[in-house]
Formats: sequence, C-alpha cells, structure tokens
Amino acid sequence: MPTATTSLSALDISLAALLAEAGFVRAEPPLLMPADLVRDLVGEALARRLYLTTDADGAELCLRPDYTIPVVQAHLEGPNAREAAAYSYLGPVFRHRAGMAGEFNQAGIELLGRTDREAADAEVIAIALKAARVYTDGPLQLVLGDVGIFLSLINALGLPAVWRRRLAKDFRRSGMLADDLRRLAEPAAQGPTHAGLLAALEGSDPKAARELVTDLLSIAGITTVGGRSAADIAERFLEQAALGSGGLAADKVAVVEQVLGLDTDPVSAEAQLREIASRAGLDMTAAINRLAERNALLVAAGVDLSAAKFSTRFGRDVDYYTGLVFEIHDGSGRAGKPLVGGGRYDRLTDMMTAKLGLDLKVPAVGCAFWVERLAVAGGRA
Amino acid sequence: MTLVFAIPSKGRILEAAQGFLDRSGLKPVQGRGVRDYRGTIPGLDHVEVAFLSASDIARELVAGNVHLGLTGLDLMHEATPEPEDRLVSLTPLGFSRADVVVAVPQAWIDVRTMADLDDVASQYRARHRTRMRVATKYLNLTRSFFDRHGIADYRIVESAGATEGAPAAGAAELIVDITTTGATLAANALKVLDDGVIMKSEAHLVASRTAQWSDRALASAADMLDRIASEARARKVKEVRTRFRAADDGVLAEARERFGVETPFGGPTSSGMLTLHCPPKAIFALSRFLREKGAETVSVMELDYVFGKDNPLYERLAASLARS
Repeated sequence: MPTATTSLSALDISLAALLAEAGFVRAEPPLLMPADLVRDLVGEALARRLYLTTDADGAELCLRPDYTIPVVQAHLEGPNAREAAAYSYLGPVFRHRAGMAGEFNQAGIELLGRTDREAADAEVIAIALKAARVYTDGPLQLVLGDVGIFLSLINALGLPAVWRRRLAKDFRRSGMLADDLRRLAEPAAQGPTHAGLLAALEGSDPKAARELVTDLLSIAGITTVGGRSAADIAERFLEQAALGSGGLAADKVAVVEQVLGLDTDPVSAEAQLREIASRAGLDMTAAINRLAERNALLVAAGVDLSAAKFSTRFGRDVDYYTGLVFEIHDGSGRAGKPLVGGGRYDRLTDMMTAKLGLDLKVPAVGCAFWVERLAVAGGRA
Repeated sequence: MTLVFAIPSKGRILEAAQGFLDRSGLKPVQGRGVRDYRGTIPGLDHVEVAFLSASDIARELVAGNVHLGLTGLDLMHEATPEPEDRLVSLTPLGFSRADVVVAVPQAWIDVRTMADLDDVASQYRARHRTRMRVATKYLNLTRSFFDRHGIADYRIVESAGATEGAPAAGAAELIVDITTTGATLAANALKVLDDGVIMKSEAHLVASRTAQWSDRALASAADMLDRIASEARARKVKEVRTRFRAADDGVLAEARERFGVETPFGGPTSSGMLTLHCPPKAIFALSRFLREKGAETVSVMELDYVFGKDNPLYERLAASLARS
C-alpha cells in the first residue's frame, strides 16, 4: 500500500489562494465528527468506508470522509445560518480505499443559502474550470447532468406515488432503472396479496378508506410500530391498490427512454427536451427553463458549452443531489477518474436541518477537487 | 510449526461440535483446568487446540492465526467482506442450522417482500428526512443483501445482543437476525419477509487460506481430515455380512443396482463370505433380497470409520491453497 501523504503542494496552495481571492471563506472543520450523523446522511454504501473510533463515553466518531458535511453543519449551527455564504476548504479526508492510502487531500467549494440557484450553479462550474487550470494546461472535458429533469418527467407522467419513488431512487442505478422501465411497460400482472380488500376499497373516498384501515390496525392494538404510524401503513396499503390498476402506456415508456437517451451538448439538450415534452404533451417547462437559464449564465461566464457534454442519465454516486450534477475529466485520459465532481445537494441540507431541528431551507451547490488526480493530469505526479 | 485448530468454547454450537469431534476421533484434552483455553488431541503431536467463541474463530481464520476451525457460515461472511479470498469451507457439518433473515413488525401489513421494503424505505426517508434503521450484528450480509435488492435508503444500527427487541424499543424500524424456529421473532411481533432469507447457515469445517501452512501443518491437516472424512463416510453406510453359496457376480450386480450397495473388499471369498456397505435406508430390503437368494443369516453393523484411498477434504484444502 502506498504511504499516506498529507503534505500540500505549491499548486494546492495556489488553488487555495485563487478561491480566497474569489471571495470564498476558508472553512477549517474538525477532523473528528459524530459517526451517527454521517451514516444517516451518506447511507451504508459510503458508511462502510468510514474510519471509526469511539470517545471515552462510548459515542462513535469518524474521521471526516469529506468536507461537505462538516462545513454545512458548522454553517447551520452558526449565527449566520439564514444568510448566503461561500466556503472553500483544503486538507485531508479519510476513506477506506482498496489498495490505496485511506488519507488523501481534497479541496472544494460550497455555496450555501443562495436562492438564485441557477446563478450559483453556474458560478461553481465556472470557478471549478478556472481552478483546474492551476494544475493543467491540457484538455478538460466538462460533463453535465440534471437530476431535476428526470424528476420533473416522472411527476409529469402522473405515475402512482409508489412508482415515482421507485424511479427516483433507481435513477442512479442504470441496471435497476432498465428493469423498472420494463416492469412499468408490462400490464399489471399479479395483484397484491390482499387483492380482495384492495379491490373493494379501490375508487372509494380515499379519506374514508384510510380511516377504515387505520381503525382495523388500532383494533389489533397497533399504534406506531417501528417508526411508522398506523396512518402511514394504511396509506401505503391503499397505494398498492392504485399500483394494481395497470401499467404505463407504451408511448409513455418510449418518452421516458427518449429523455434518458439524451446525450449531446447542453444547449442542444435543452431544445430537444422541449421538443420531446411538447410532442408528448408533458409539462416539464419549469425544469427545462432552469436548464436554459443555467446554460445562458454559463455562456455569459465564458464557458464553452459546445465542447461540453450533457446527459440526462448522468448521476453521481451519492443520492443527495437534486439538480445540477457535473464532473470535469482529464481530456488527455492521463488521470482515469474525475478531477472535479459536484452538484446541487438541497436534499442533504434538508436532512441536516431536520436532524438539527431547524426550520430552514438552505439551497446548496458545490464541488470537490481531487487534487492528487489534478496533479497527475498536469503531468506533475 | 504446529497446526492450530479452533473449536467453539461456548454457545449453541458447543454441544454439537463436541459430538462431532468425539465421533471423528479428534476429542480434545483441555489443559490444566476449564479455564485453560488451549488443549491438545491425543495422538496428534503437532496440533494445538484453541477454544474460542465461534465468531472469534471466524476472525482468527481470516487473520491467519488459526489453520482450521469450526464456525458458522454466517460468521464466515461477517468476519470479512470477501470470505472466498481468505477462507475455504471444507465441508458443511449439518449442525447449528439457522437462517439469517430480514424481519419487520407484523403490523406492517403492506410489507411482504423486499420490493415492498425498498419502497417503504424511500417513503420513510422522504417523510422523516432520515433513513430507516436496521438493527443487526450482520453488517456485511445486510449490506450486500440490501444492495442486491437495490435498497439504499436505510442505515445500520449495530446491535450486539437481543436484536429482536430493537423495533419495540424504538432503536430501529426492522432487524436482520439469525433464527432457528422463528419463535423469538413472533414473540416480538416480527415477521420474516417472503424473500427475506439472506442465508441458510450451519456449522462448517473451515480452513484459513492466509495462515502459514508449513509441511508439518499440512501433514497434520491431512491426518485430521482423513479421520473426519472417514467418519462421515462411515455414517452414510452400514456393514452387511453374510455367507451363502449362490452369491455370485449376478447377485452382486443386482444388489448394486437395486440397493446402491458397495463391495469394499471385492466379491465373495472362496467360502462364500460376503461383506457389503449399504445405505441405511435400504438395509431391510437388502436383507430380504439376500435371504431370498439363499442366505441363512445376514448381520448388520454400524461402522465407526471407513478409510479409503483418497482424502477428499484434504484435496479440497490443497486445491484451495494452490489457487492464488
């Protein structure tokens, strides 16, 4: 295993200087943080890569696996949680990585509390491209996606809640998503187990039906069990009746596949999406307008969008992104993995404000720089 | 260097393991007292016995501190995310059978399958802005099983004991736990999902691929595995002896065909003495058949060991160690 090195290079220092000059406040969160918070925010896929330890009272702690969570936490707990803020960071993060050092340096930026979302998105991308230039003069490939487009599509299709949740969840997992779409196209095959009762309830007044099932559960002495209330259970039980009433029409499935198949530059993507939506009679205007506004702001900031790629399928491997997602790749292929990765993560701040008991909506967008890969791309490592 | 053989020192697996070792001629002698956690096996000079808990055995096998051990399939998978890289199961042992299962509150009448659970997990996260909690001690098994079913909106709460009480105590929404009869789950108002059996576990004889296998350790292993295989082979047959003049190749061929008998020492001797190995369930039919053919007396015996030319368990070990 290669030995860990946390020493920062001269280029890393230049990157930090560039970010400071651009108005980002350097954040210095602690190395140790509550493991419980991190597990809940990132899920088990990343939780297994945490370095864990315990304090004298037995509380579980972890070494920070990234900067985003502690930077956002410090902001939300600070006095200016309701105001817009721009943070940068540079330093070591810790994750188990097979065959590689578990300790490595990361830099990054976070724009928090900006309600002009598209402007904030465009700023992050523009500065990410500029900062990558600190390390390399070689070709850089910008790859973009927008989770919001897919979410707006499944809302516009008028799918049952069960299917909306499933598609949104499987979006990042192409194998599962393909499987879902195949099943959506099939006419409803076998009914759920309580088919008789569900059929009797189907089409009846939803409120009355929910009350009936809630009553049945409370007769059995069941109130809140395992974190789900009797009303929760009743509601989903009835949703299954909706699921039993048929599949998605073949032409609608074709629309989903068209949208997901989109792979072009961001400006053409915008035009093609409008065309697909209008032909299918689906209202996706708000999401497409956001893409258009972001594109215009990127062009205004001097980003060459004709060389950028946009794919509706493109998603990053954490599930708290809600809108823009992007990566910058080494066009020369010297560094095999992304040099920069980021996106809009309003869902993460939502989960954190809920945990902290704050009644706040904090829009958030940011990105992380893999400084060791950037050095490789620049031929300096 | 001696071979270290780890056997369970406590728990459900202990009694069955002792029976297995007695039958296989590997009965250990503990050191000076019950508090001594090291022992020996009479007649096997280069074998050291370590008395450990079944989960410690799995961990020590992974670490390579123990060469051979008796432990559960579930614990093998829990001790390392890649059991096949570090361990090799030489044979299942048929005892300590139990299932590792996903169990949810019985009140969840809308949840019967993992697909339902997947949906509930997404819904739970959307509603509570936090992930559904799964109490378990099986981190690796839970993660890989949930991953296979595409479930991402959950988190594990580690639980060392009395996992089945976690949902009622409000410490988790559901559990992954081991169960034999399901009675404990039912008593805690939990139900197993229709497709929620993660693993059918039982005790296995396991070898470490990471331990130092000296020639001497391999020779000791060959000796031990020969005893174990011979005992297992002996349990699958009974010995049938008889003597009669009409015992010829034709009768033997028919007996092989109809009852699955073997003739370990060849056909009848010149005086007509015949020794057969017969599966236990065919014993009475075989004895009737032999008397119909002219035998006056047929005796049937249990066997302690049947040693053969080959040593199949050792061959499995050697093949696994040769693989890089």
